[in-house]
Amino acid sequence: MTSPAASISSREAGTVARRPGAGVVLGEPDMWAFVLFECLIFASYFIIYMLYRMADPELFLRSQEHLSQDLGVANTLIMLTSSWLMARCVQAAREKKFEIASRQVVLTLTCGVAFVALKVTEWSMKLREGLGFSTNEFFWFYYFLTGIHVLHVLIGFVVLAVVVHQLRSPERRSQEIVETGATYWHMVDFLWVMIFALVYVMR
Amino acid sequence: MGTNVESRLRAVWLALVVVTLISWWIGSSHGHQEFRSSAPITYAVLLIAAVKMRMIVRHFMEVRHAPDALRRLTDGWIALLVIALLAIYSFKLSMPAV
Amino acid sequence: MSAAVADHTRARPSGFLGRIAWHWRHDPKIELWICWWVMVSFYQLFGIVFVLMTRVMPPPRPDWDQARIVQWFSDNHTGLLVGFGIIFLVAGMTASSNAIIGYSMRRMSVSRAFAYSYIAIYSLSAIPGMLFAGILLSVGAMRPDRDPRLLAWLYDAGFLTFVGTMGVFLIGTLVWMIAILIDKNRVFPRWFGYLNICNLLTEFVVAPCWIMKTGAFAWNGSIAFWVDTGVFVVYTTAFIVLLRRMVIREDFGDGPLPDPS
Repeated sequence: MTSPAASISSREAGTVARRPGAGVVLGEPDMWAFVLFECLIFASYFIIYMLYRMADPELFLRSQEHLSQDLGVANTLIMLTSSWLMARCVQAAREKKFEIASRQVVLTLTCGVAFVALKVTEWSMKLREGLGFSTNEFFWFYYFLTGIHVLHVLIGFVVLAVVVHQLRSPERRSQEIVETGATYWHMVDFLWVMIFALVYVMR
Repeated sequence: MGTNVESRLRAVWLALVVVTLISWWIGSSHGHQEFRSSAPITYAVLLIAAVKMRMIVRHFMEVRHAPDALRRLTDGWIALLVIALLAIYSFKLSMPAV
Repeated sequence: MSAAVADHTRARPSGFLGRIAWHWRHDPKIELWICWWVMVSFYQLFGIVFVLMTRVMPPPRPDWDQARIVQWFSDNHTGLLVGFGIIFLVAGMTASSNAIIGYSMRRMSVSRAFAYSYIAIYSLSAIPGMLFAGILLSVGAMRPDRDPRLLAWLYDAGFLTFVGTMGVFLIGTLVWMIAILIDKNRVFPRWFGYLNICNLLTEFVVAPCWIMKTGAFAWNGSIAFWVDTGVFVVYTTAFIVLLRRMVIREDFGDGPLPDPS
C-alpha cells in the first residue's frame, strides 16, 4: 500500500491515475473530523451574526464604519501568506528537503505572530475610541468572532511548534504530523477569510 | 521543489491576494461620501469569500486529491453556508432581538 | 489473571437478571462497569432534573425585572426544591465519572500525574457545575415571600455560576487532551483528543455572560448557551461511548498491544 506522501506526489506528477471515488487526505483523518466539526460551530456563529445584523442593519452599518478596512485587509493578506508558506512546507517535507520545510513553518509562525500583534493593536485602538464589547450588538460580534479566531491562532502556535520540533530532528520528521499541523493552520486561514468578509467588508 | 506544484501553489496565493484586494476595493470605493448598505457589494463579497475558501481547501488543503466524499462535503459546506447567509441577508430574516 | 480470562469462557446464564448476577459475581471488570453505568445514569438524571424539573435549562432571561423573577421562583417552587434535593443527594455520583476518566489515563503511556491532576481538578467541578446553582436557587425557592431584591440576587448568582464558571473545566479538559494526544497506547482515538479543543474553547465562549444581559452572549443566549450546550452534548456523548469501548477492550494486561501504525 503506497504511503500517502507517495500517492499525493505521484498524483501531482500525473503518474498515477485516479480511481473514481478514491483519494488521500492531507494528514490524519482525525484532524479532518475536528476541522469539519469546527466548521459546523463557526457556521452557526456566522448565521447567528447575520440574523442579528438583519434585525438592525443600520446599527451594524454605522458601527462597521468605525473599523479599519486597511487593518482588516492587512490581516487577511498575512493569513493567506502564512497558509501558502505552510503548503510549501508540506511540499518541501514531502521532497525530503527538511531545512527548507523548517524555514517555511518558522515563517508561518512569524506571520501568525504578526497577525495577532496587528489584531491586538486594532482592538486597543477601538478600545481607546470607547468601542468595547458591550457597546452594541455589532461590537459583541466583532470582538467575539475576532477573539475566538485569535484563540484558534494561539492554539495554532502550539500546533506549528510541534511541526517545527518534528522537522528539526532526523529521528522524528513524521510527514503525517507535518500535514496534520498544516490542515489545522489552513482551517484557521479560511475561517478568517469568512470573518473578514462578514465583519469588515459586507454592506 | 517540484516546480509544477511550487508554481501552482504560488498561482493560488497570487489569485487569493488579488481577489482579496478586489473585494477590499469593492467594499471601500463607494465609501468616500456614504457608507451605505448595498446588496450587490454584499453578494460580491460573500461569493468572493466562498471562492477564496474553496481555493484554500482545494489547493492548500489538497482536497483535490481527497476521496470524493470529502470533496463533496467541503464544497457542500461552503455552498450551504454562503447560501444561508445570502438568504438571511436578502429576506431580512432576523433573530427576535432578545 | 488467567483465572479472569477463564471466567469469561465459562457459560453464562441467559435472562436479564441472570446475566447481571453473573457479572456481579464473575466479571473482573465489574467495578469499571459500575463506574460507567453510574456515570451514564447521573447524566440522565442531570438532564431530567435540570431540564424538566427545575427548568434551569434552558435558562430564563437575565433581563427580567424583580417582579418577574419572583414569579419565576413561585412558578417553579416545587420543581426547584424537589429537583435540587435529588441533585444534592446524588451529587457524589459524579465521582464515578472522574474515576473512570482518571482510570483511562492510567492505561495510557503517559505519566500518572495526568490522571491525578484530572481527578483533583474535576473533584471541584461539581461545585460551580451544579451545586452552587442548586443551593442558591433552592434558597430562593424556599421562602417565596422573601424580599424581591434578595430573590433577584439569588437568581443572578445562581445562573451566573451555572452558565459562566468554567475555569475548572478548562484546565481539566486541557490535562485530558494532552494526555490523549501524547499517549502511545491509543486508549482514545486522536479525533477525541482534538474534540477536547472544542470543549475547551466553550469555556471561553461563556465568559461574556457576566457582562451581557440580553442577546447572543447572555446566559440564555444563542451562542453562550445554545451552541455551547450543543458542543457539550456532542463531547459528552463521545466520551461516554469511547469509555464504554475502553472498558470492553480492557484485558488487564493480558491481550495484544495496539497496532503501532
